[in-house]
Amino acid sequence: MLELEGLRVGYGRIEVVHGVDLDVGEGEAVGMIGPNGAGKSSILRAIFGLVRPTAGRAVFADRVLTGMAPEQVARLGLALVPEGRHIFKTLTVEENLRLGAPANGDGAEAMEATLERFPVLRERADQRADRLSGGEQQQLAIARALLGGPRLLVLDEPSLGLAPKMIETIYELLHGLREEGVTMLLVEQNAARTIDFCDRCAVLSTGKVRAQGSREELQRNPDVLRAYLGRQP
Amino acid sequence: MTELGQNLIDALALGSLYALIALGITLVYTVMGMMNFAHGEFIMLAAYALYVLAGLPFGFAVAAALLTGSVVAVLAERVAFRPVRNADLSAQLVTSLAVAAILQNIVTVAVNARAQSVETPTALSETTSIGGLMVPNLEFVTLGLTAIVLAGLGWLLYRTRTGLTMRAAAENFDMARLLGVRADRVIAISFAISGALAAAVGVLIVMQTGQVSPTMGLTPVLVGFVAVVIGGFGRIFGAVIGGLLLGALSSLLGVYLPDGLVPFRDAIVFTVPVLILIFRPHGLLGGEVGRARV
Amino acid sequence: MSSARLRPRSSALVSLLIPLALIALVALVGATGTPSLEGTVIQILCNLIIVVGLQVFVGNSGVYSFGQLGFATAGAYVAALLTLPAAFVLLQTPGLPDFVADANAGPLVSTLIAAAFSALLAAVIGLPLMRTSTLAIPISTFAFLIVAYNVVANWDRITGGNAGLVSIPTTTGVGAAGLWAGVAVVLALAFKWSPSGYRLQATREDEVAARSIGIGLMRERMIAFTISGALCGVGGALAVHQSGVLNPTTFYFGATVTTMTMLVVGGARSVLGAVAGAIAIAVVNELLRGIENGADLFGVISIGEAPGLAAIGLGLILLATMIAMPNGLSGGREAGELPWLRRPRSSPPPPLPAAEETDGAVPTARPAPGTLRAEGVSLAFAGLRVLRDVDLTLASGEVLGLIGPNGAGKTTLVNVLSGFQRPDAGTVSLDGASVAGSSPARLARRGLGRTFQAALPFPHLSGLENVAVGAMGMGASRRRAVATATDVLTRLDLTELARMPAGAMPPGSQRLLGVARALAIQPRYLLLDEPAAGLSDAEGEQLTAILRNVLADFGCGILLIEHDMNIVMKLCPRVQVLDDGRTLRVGTPQEIQADPAVIESYLGSNFLAAVDA
Repeated sequence: MLELEGLRVGYGRIEVVHGVDLDVGEGEAVGMIGPNGAGKSSILRAIFGLVRPTAGRAVFADRVLTGMAPEQVARLGLALVPEGRHIFKTLTVEENLRLGAPANGDGAEAMEATLERFPVLRERADQRADRLSGGEQQQLAIARALLGGPRLLVLDEPSLGLAPKMIETIYELLHGLREEGVTMLLVEQNAARTIDFCDRCAVLSTGKVRAQGSREELQRNPDVLRAYLGRQP
Repeated sequence: MTELGQNLIDALALGSLYALIALGITLVYTVMGMMNFAHGEFIMLAAYALYVLAGLPFGFAVAAALLTGSVVAVLAERVAFRPVRNADLSAQLVTSLAVAAILQNIVTVAVNARAQSVETPTALSETTSIGGLMVPNLEFVTLGLTAIVLAGLGWLLYRTRTGLTMRAAAENFDMARLLGVRADRVIAISFAISGALAAAVGVLIVMQTGQVSPTMGLTPVLVGFVAVVIGGFGRIFGAVIGGLLLGALSSLLGVYLPDGLVPFRDAIVFTVPVLILIFRPHGLLGGEVGRARV
Repeated sequence: MSSARLRPRSSALVSLLIPLALIALVALVGATGTPSLEGTVIQILCNLIIVVGLQVFVGNSGVYSFGQLGFATAGAYVAALLTLPAAFVLLQTPGLPDFVADANAGPLVSTLIAAAFSALLAAVIGLPLMRTSTLAIPISTFAFLIVAYNVVANWDRITGGNAGLVSIPTTTGVGAAGLWAGVAVVLALAFKWSPSGYRLQATREDEVAARSIGIGLMRERMIAFTISGALCGVGGALAVHQSGVLNPTTFYFGATVTTMTMLVVGGARSVLGAVAGAIAIAVVNELLRGIENGADLFGVISIGEAPGLAAIGLGLILLATMIAMPNGLSGGREAGELPWLRRPRSSPPPPLPAAEETDGAVPTARPAPGTLRAEGVSLAFAGLRVLRDVDLTLASGEVLGLIGPNGAGKTTLVNVLSGFQRPDAGTVSLDGASVAGSSPARLARRGLGRTFQAALPFPHLSGLENVAVGAMGMGASRRRAVATATDVLTRLDLTELARMPAGAMPPGSQRLLGVARALAIQPRYLLLDEPAAGLSDAEGEQLTAILRNVLADFGCGILLIEHDMNIVMKLCPRVQVLDDGRTLRVGTPQEIQADPAVIESYLGSNFLAAVDA
């Protein structure tokens, strides 16, 4: 469904992603893990048109994403829950959600379904979004992304900066979505949970894929640990 | 007492005018991050629309002027500002200065460098007495128009989806785009509204002074800039407050300054904001410089 | 005598001589032409002086000022009033104090007094204005322009008001104008290449990096603003002594647009750009004015009189430049830096002479022992607790590794230590003295150096200049800064980067240069934020070697944030692990790598089984 082909990303003369190949199939949950500076967020920026890759391309459902504006990518059915959440702090919770909902008529139904799934957002619908706690803000960001009925949901560090209990809540939510068949690309630094959660994972460090495979394969792979801690095998 | 009331209404009227200017400038700044120097020329061109259409029914001429402001603003964005959308603030400011110089001198070439007088309905220059206060009708129009514009803008921003996308884009442009908000469209709409606001100001100035000139936009745009700065960059209500303060200050200084200093009123009016900036470098409402990125 | 220089001597000479030659050429055309042409040329040269004045501030600071023509106005009025014949004083400016009215100054004296007055005015105006933010300066300087206009237009008894002044002696000859223009160019280049000029350019290139090497933004802007004001005053004074008339709009909005266009079209970052832009636009302007007054274009198209046409043309040129060529005709380069004036590329850049022994006292001196200490530091952003009660101690001469997962708070801790972020609670002390609330620049001057996750080079400056600015930020003279920079680059084995613009270097080199720049402030404590992020393996090796050198040669305490444990293992006897804003462990790298809690924080508990297996 989503394919990255030899993707290279650089800022000015600084290349941070040195040719990454990755694919996500329909209904799959794929993880992308790796330490800070591995280039994970840059890859997402390139997929969503926030930065133009220096080489390679991203293809989604036979459409080449490279060269598209972020809004065009979004309109193809890719939704991003960005690192740091980026909810609109000066808007109310409900307004944040309305921005995620499709502009045409069938928004109301989707909105109702979402509020059903996230009762805390219904409770606080009229409050300014910056009054929410970190975990609630993360739920809002996910809810906002889901409202458009995405064909691929991309999450960047959804557990970053959250209390352990809240991380559990978020992952319960993601489990539910996976069972409903939502296709997901999950980017995390927290390797363990991601490997547990996903069907497949790619391990990145300094802009390259160092290891790839299923949960069992990765847990036996010393390259994974080396990517994080540089431990000699 | 009545004199004080009179002065306060005058102050409010001028403050409203300045607030409209600041609002137009701030609207573009919030979504695009550009301080648009050519805003003054949008004001001027709308005023010239009144001059050119003199003789037609006044209401029709005003509508045409508003349309002129919008269309010129949208065209300027398409031709000149879009290519520098990602340039730094200073580069954008200089670009808008170039647009201002071009528009100003096109009018000089097409009409004349000198001021031209414009007939406005005589009812505007009369006054109405309310409880002992003699209020010029024009001030009613100014106050009324400002109220209508503020209400309309409030409705647009807070009651429509377009307004919602504009507010979202103002806070975090990239995130809004990631939710499918079309950047070009939001910016074009902002320019259209900003141009219409400029045009409304142009119409009010013509009603007040009865004349138009190619350089008539200069003082308003500077007033607007200063109001935006003291209100706090990118704060819509900050702009309104900055405009009201600046207008009220200017109006009241005109009345209460000693005679010898009255000619220097503008010098004092433009010095005060700088003093505010020394103590509050980001303006009264403390807006942020630059925009969040995803 | 021939110690290392910031730029090769030949390049500096060419950079100086080419603009002077351009001015001489223009002056020569004026001197040999008709009187009317001579007058035009004098006005062009006066404008050129103002544009060069504008360059001193705008070009070096990167901040646009729309108020400099206000200083031209001030200079022009002062010069005019000092020289106005007594008979006209009574008629035009009856309120003029006697000492001015009777001054009867000559052209040179009046110009000098005008320059001094404008400089003083700029200093007084700059004092509040330079405190405002980078975005507010263009607008508040514009406000000043209006204030200046308003004052001269209404102070009738002194300035003659809106009617302006006439019968001012016309004493400016083409020779004098040319000489003054030459003086302006020399002054502008001397400033640009002075420590103060370099410090200001550093703030233009990267404000944050500039603060980290001890540069105070306001002070450097003030200096340039004042010099710029003086030059603009000279331009105004000379111009009014050519035309013989002056009114409040002479140097107002129109002149502001014209001079700004000249600077931007020429390329604001260089003095060459200011000179070339002033001449090029003046020539175009004269041609356009010819058309404006009704002329046959190439004998084919006949155009009637159309005032304003020239201004439209200038506006279009400015617009096209901003869109298509934002660096202007010169590309922001001085003549000596232009590729087609340099020797062919085949010959490598001239080698960097070694630092002279006599310049001695360069960083070899071991810093006195001491500690950088953070105690109980806590910080929250919008309710998110980023640091929770963190302690950290860094002694001079040691390397402390700081590791932890993304979002653990490592960079925030470095920001707190270096003054970029104020903690909500807790203290930071340098050698026992609290440094709470100190600005980054102040901390840098007290011996705290740092690098950033992004390399943040000063892209338009050469490698040597990048490093030398570090020393200049500490107040070193140019000569001493060059010696220090040469020494640092030699020790780190980076001399091949010396003559290359930092913006053209590969990313790895930029990072290494960032370390060199931080070392040039001769820090006692050096905070390195992921210096190896994004480096190739080979570059990582080079970095490790460099850091070893640093330890051996400079003796400063180093805090190393790094996720590549290979590097941490090689360099750090002690490692502190942050997780979720808290200190998780402090220990040797071996202890840390085997520590279950650390592995879990990175990889989760499932790995332990796999590791043990």
